Amino acid sequence: MSKTYEYVPEPALVKGNHSFKDITAMVTDINIRPTPTGWYIAFGISNLLLLLLLVSIAWLFWEGTGIWGLNQPVGWGWAIINFVWWVGIGHAGTLISAILFLFRQGWRTAINRFAEAMTIFAVMCAGIFPAIHVGRIWVIYWVFPLPNSMAMWPNFNSPLLWDVFAVSTYFTVSFLFWYVGLVPDLATIRDRIKSKYGKLIYGTFALGWRGSNRHWWNYEKSYMILAGLATPLVLSVHTIVSFDFAVSIIPGWHTTIFPPYFVAGAVFSGFAMVLTLMIIVRKIYGLQDIMTDDHIEKMNIIILVTGSMVGFAYAMEFFIAWYGQVEYEKAIFILRATGPYAWAYWIMIACNVLSPQFFWSKKLRRNVAFTFIISIVVNIGMWFERFVIAVTSLSTDYLPSSWGYYSPTFWDVATYIGTFGLFFTFFLLFLRFLPMIAVAELKGVMPQADPHNYNDKGEFVPPKVEVPQPYTKTS
Amino acid sequence: MSDQSNQTTYWKSLNELAQNEEYKKFVEREFPEDATELSDQVSRRSFLRVMGASIALAGFASCRKPVQKILPYSRQPEDMVLGEPLYYATSMPFQDSVTGLLITNYEGRPNKIEGNEDHPSSGGKTSIFHQASILGLYDPDRSRSPIRNGEKVSKEEFVQFASSHFADRNQSLLFIDEATSSPTYHRIREEVLSAFPNADWVTYEPFSDDNRIEGTQIAFGERLRTVPHYDKADLVIALDDDFMSPHASTNSVENSLKLTARRKVETASDSMSRIYSVENALTSTGSYADHRLRLKTSQIAPFTYALAAKLSSSLSGLSAFIGFENEFSSHKWIEVLANELLSNRGTSVISASREHSAELHAVVAVLNHALGNSGNTVTYHRIPHNTDRNEREAFISAVEELRNGTYDTVVLVGTNIRQTAPADLAFEEALSRAQSTIHLSEYADETSAICNWHVNRAHYIESWGDGLSFTGQRSVIQPQILPLFGGLSEIEFLNLLLTGEEISGHELVQQTWSSSLSSDFRREWETILHNGLDQESHFPEVSVLLNNQFEEAVQSALTQQAVSGIELTVKPDSRIFDGRFANIGWLQELPEPMTKITWDNVALMSAATAEKIGINPTRSFRNNDVPLVRITSGNTTIEIAAWIEPGHADDSITLTAGFGRKGLGRVADGVGVDVYPFRNTNAMLFAAAVAEPAGRTYEVACVQDHHSLEGRDMIRTATLEQYKENPDFASFESFHGFKVPGMKEALAKGDDRGPISLFNEQYGPDHQPQWGMAIDLNACFGCGVCTIACQAENNIPVIGKREVGRRRIMHWIRTDRYYEGDPDNPSVYHQPVPCMHCELAPCEQVCPVAATTHSEDGLNQMTYNRCIGTRYCANNCPFKVRRFNFFNYTKEYLTTGDDPEIIQMAMNPDVTVRFRGVIEKCTYCVQRINRGKIASKIATGSRKPADGTVKTACQQACPANAITFGDLTDKNSVISRSKRNERNYVMLEEINVRPRTSYLARLTNKNPELG
Repeated sequence: MSKTYEYVPEPALVKGNHSFKDITAMVTDINIRPTPTGWYIAFGISNLLLLLLLVSIAWLFWEGTGIWGLNQPVGWGWAIINFVWWVGIGHAGTLISAILFLFRQGWRTAINRFAEAMTIFAVMCAGIFPAIHVGRIWVIYWVFPLPNSMAMWPNFNSPLLWDVFAVSTYFTVSFLFWYVGLVPDLATIRDRIKSKYGKLIYGTFALGWRGSNRHWWNYEKSYMILAGLATPLVLSVHTIVSFDFAVSIIPGWHTTIFPPYFVAGAVFSGFAMVLTLMIIVRKIYGLQDIMTDDHIEKMNIIILVTGSMVGFAYAMEFFIAWYGQVEYEKAIFILRATGPYAWAYWIMIACNVLSPQFFWSKKLRRNVAFTFIISIVVNIGMWFERFVIAVTSLSTDYLPSSWGYYSPTFWDVATYIGTFGLFFTFFLLFLRFLPMIAVAELKGVMPQADPHNYNDKGEFVPPKVEVPQPYTKTS
Repeated sequence: MSDQSNQTTYWKSLNELAQNEEYKKFVEREFPEDATELSDQVSRRSFLRVMGASIALAGFASCRKPVQKILPYSRQPEDMVLGEPLYYATSMPFQDSVTGLLITNYEGRPNKIEGNEDHPSSGGKTSIFHQASILGLYDPDRSRSPIRNGEKVSKEEFVQFASSHFADRNQSLLFIDEATSSPTYHRIREEVLSAFPNADWVTYEPFSDDNRIEGTQIAFGERLRTVPHYDKADLVIALDDDFMSPHASTNSVENSLKLTARRKVETASDSMSRIYSVENALTSTGSYADHRLRLKTSQIAPFTYALAAKLSSSLSGLSAFIGFENEFSSHKWIEVLANELLSNRGTSVISASREHSAELHAVVAVLNHALGNSGNTVTYHRIPHNTDRNEREAFISAVEELRNGTYDTVVLVGTNIRQTAPADLAFEEALSRAQSTIHLSEYADETSAICNWHVNRAHYIESWGDGLSFTGQRSVIQPQILPLFGGLSEIEFLNLLLTGEEISGHELVQQTWSSSLSSDFRREWETILHNGLDQESHFPEVSVLLNNQFEEAVQSALTQQAVSGIELTVKPDSRIFDGRFANIGWLQELPEPMTKITWDNVALMSAATAEKIGINPTRSFRNNDVPLVRITSGNTTIEIAAWIEPGHADDSITLTAGFGRKGLGRVADGVGVDVYPFRNTNAMLFAAAVAEPAGRTYEVACVQDHHSLEGRDMIRTATLEQYKENPDFASFESFHGFKVPGMKEALAKGDDRGPISLFNEQYGPDHQPQWGMAIDLNACFGCGVCTIACQAENNIPVIGKREVGRRRIMHWIRTDRYYEGDPDNPSVYHQPVPCMHCELAPCEQVCPVAATTHSEDGLNQMTYNRCIGTRYCANNCPFKVRRFNFFNYTKEYLTTGDDPEIIQMAMNPDVTVRFRGVIEKCTYCVQRINRGKIASKIATGSRKPADGTVKTACQQACPANAITFGDLTDKNSVISRSKRNERNYVMLEEINVRPRTSYLARLTNKNPELG
């Protein structure tokens, strides 16, 4: 005996029953048609902020690290916080493009290009900080293992050195992954664009893509290999960033929970950032059919999961501090919640642990405006998480005599705001000149790409599946 | 945001300050461009040439023969190896005594001051004033020429003026000077007084021993110096007396050395003296005492009288107090102290702060006498230069005469009397009655500004002189360098007024000494120069008898009541004294020993008093804002930052003088508030006052923001009894009740050096010395001289109030001060913290470029050239001893004003100056270690210097001998003994960084009766 069931069909990933041609036009026309005025305004503002960054950095180089609010005992302040924050944001892109690819999550194709671009620019913003925060920028190259006449190598024991390798590898792989994915779409634009120079430039970067079977075969292989390479990086980069803290002996830093907790936090903040950008972009460019409310809901679920993981980590930190019975560790966690920086701690808890809990409600998960607000709240919370970790631990460490309060100066703030200038300058250039959605991949997950189970009218008819009854012994 | 740039009173760098227009006017060049080059500029190069020549010609660097020839070192002078310093004995005069010093001299450039071990006043130890005086020498703000009515003139013009002006021997003259013990000075003074029949001579020191001397006059009928012998005392009672601090006693170094020697405990069978302190504001001595009672300044005298009354029934000679009673008669402490004193007859010392009344000092002297301490623990000495009058009264009446127009000419020697004179004397107005006024001083200061003539004075390091130490050793002051800015020493100046011609100080001093030395003057003189003193000389001890008039004299004092309500007390500042050291950046930036404030004076008060006044006693951890308080006493009102000091007496406000200087120099100007206006002839120490909140706040740069230990084990302490019961009390296990985690496992593996570790051992090899340090918390009283000595030795920059306020102070050794217990009268602990030189140093593991590494001899080294400034090491240092050059501090510090080369000369040539963006920290004075190792290698072939030959700067300066340092592989070395001491412990043992710097736990010798 057997029973017959019906497939419950997944909702279509692209709404609006668009044809392939429509999709191509919808995405690549953005790059081909004349630049809208709004773009110029946004680009101008971004450039001003970028200028602020450059001025801040120039002044920093001229005057010294003293222009920031750093002190004894707080030797790392906003610079390192911003570094960790931006790197964390980057994580969503790689997770979406690599891990979700390996897990065959078709919905990723609507947002992966976009998220990968965000990753690259976020890592660029992040990379600035460890470089400029050093006292003597002109010898920063000593962190690289360059052969020299003194046979003087960097200290391979130092997590900061691991950072150098981790972040540079991450950037390289992310960039390659992004670029390989772009090739078919660059060819599409090359074919569609009218301008001579456009053809030349897009054509150059399309690497002679003709869409032959062999091209596709190579493409798929290389894409998969890069996805395989990028997957461990998603976990390793933030693990190593967390080692900057975890390997030290400062109470509140010296804790083994940091690697998973940092990775969860990174995915959390990255998804929030993707959402923030996506919600604006899909509205402006009218891409709601591609970046659908279903996408928002899925991402909100990830935010809920990772947010709860982060919340769990916060609780575990307290538990371990109590369970470990190390005097200084106990003290730092109590001080975080009740001490001079309690305000920052409670902002962090409110933004990171409480705010995602709203997403238990399906209605709120699908509410675009609400999602937008929460996505920003989450990133504020994640910035404060890094602030709480970096600053409070240093501010009130072992010897009470060296306890001291840290507050930022104008230049700390200006440098941070300036990095948004850098980020959005690149991001706007990306939106303007590159297809923000992986058109070729997207077409592969459209209903139209799967011609089975449709009747003559093009309507979906779920197949019937016969499920055999388990064998049972009968007497 | 903590950006404080709108605060005009602060400056980030000396350069920045110098660029200010107003200031530029003040420091404008005194000569046209070319003239400076010819006559004045002492560049490093020309200076080396001149000094080299003088040494080459004279063979004795201290001889100041006129040098016309400039000779290069084409042939190396005898006893001189370039780069190898020479050491010369000299003395530093301070008020009416001198302290023997040894000055390190690099190619004719005095560079570092140490104590002279052969000199009893020093015993090789120093105070902050001694250490910092080298920076005073190289202060570019010192006056560089005589000034006539505001106009700079040449020295020749002054010589001309002096010889013509003082040709009239019958003019009526007033000399006002500061206290000095110089025999040459007093010889010339006598000659002046006999040459000018109408001359009067008075001495005024704003803070002096006058009352103590007057007290012996009341008690014993003779003006004597009281010398306490704390090394012989089992019981010390300090009545508001901070005798261990240099600002409160001219003999603080010897006092500290002797007092702490009596409290050195090596084994549980050793004994300790017991110290009681009764005081108003918390002082170093009070914090070191075993028991401390807080009383208002005005209550100290009634308290003492009550004590005398209590003792009068048991001791003879106290008949004046029989039946006397006041509000303290039933105080618990009176009973306790009386019992203690009676059971320690002949082995106790009672002393009172020198600013207290002569009557109180008389009572203290009589008490010491009645207890049989005279001649044992307290001796009395006749001072040759003491006049037989009360100097302060003489001064007051002289100023009255001056106001009446009695004097034509007033000569002021050294003193900044315009600021320091009692306010009610209206000294400035009185001085305007004289036709000619002449002022000799190192700086063109406030007083110079109102005198017709200012004459620039030579620093003691650049002039010949002599003096008597506190206990009477005749000592010489030999110059280490030609005067940087010309200038006359006080003896040359007086001699010039007397004779009208310039005679060198060398000759003047020799003239004095030739009369007291035997026939072979040259030989004896050279021996004295070598030793720094005439070792045979001392003040003869006087045996004293109670004066009959004593009873009568103190009767009126006994009825005096303490001030009811709020009173204010004016004391000298613990760093800049009466203001004379105000332009020395090291001292301004030294955290005040008790409050840890830099660059300011504040109004100290208890939390209860603050609340009473209406000031919030809690201070924010988040910013430096402190409420201002408006204090009024008499006709004077000032506004000053209110600072809550745990342990301060209630209803009392303590202010420190010496701040609020105007037109003195780049460092001193605009720092703090002048509180001298509160001092009147009838209220020199305390006065009733009214205080109210000023409603505004003020930023104070305090280097320690948290004052409680939070129950942590950084400081371990026990009473002497507890120690005897449990000698192991300071161990981790005793303190916490469990073994250091991982220790059991390590011991099982046969390793007793610390808990198990993931890392390979970094313990150095035995063929190298292994350096270690131990700091005895039972000796440390928090004076801060280690910090200044370190700063002088290691070229540590001064960074200014704003940067200190941003918590960026650069000191390599700091003294942490913790309060514990009763917030109204807490126990106070001082803990000097240098680099711990951890064997498993956490800083070394995290540096990405390997800029900090371990040496074979166990030092945690910092390679400045390799450092890129990530500050990761500083973050990972559990002791937070690493310092970062956030700005180019050294450059700012060393390029001050028009001739930065002056201040550059203060730098130690053996120590690298650090550039912007690198980390620096204590090196255990690696330059001294290597000098010792090289010397040892040459002399004996061993890499290990003999024990005691390598001393760190902090160790060498410490007047409590709290710091021991040496080779741990030598099991007989002093350091190995210290490390074997049961009280030895390291901070944070459980994190297994294995510090080489350890601490010996603090002990207190508590009286069980006081709990």
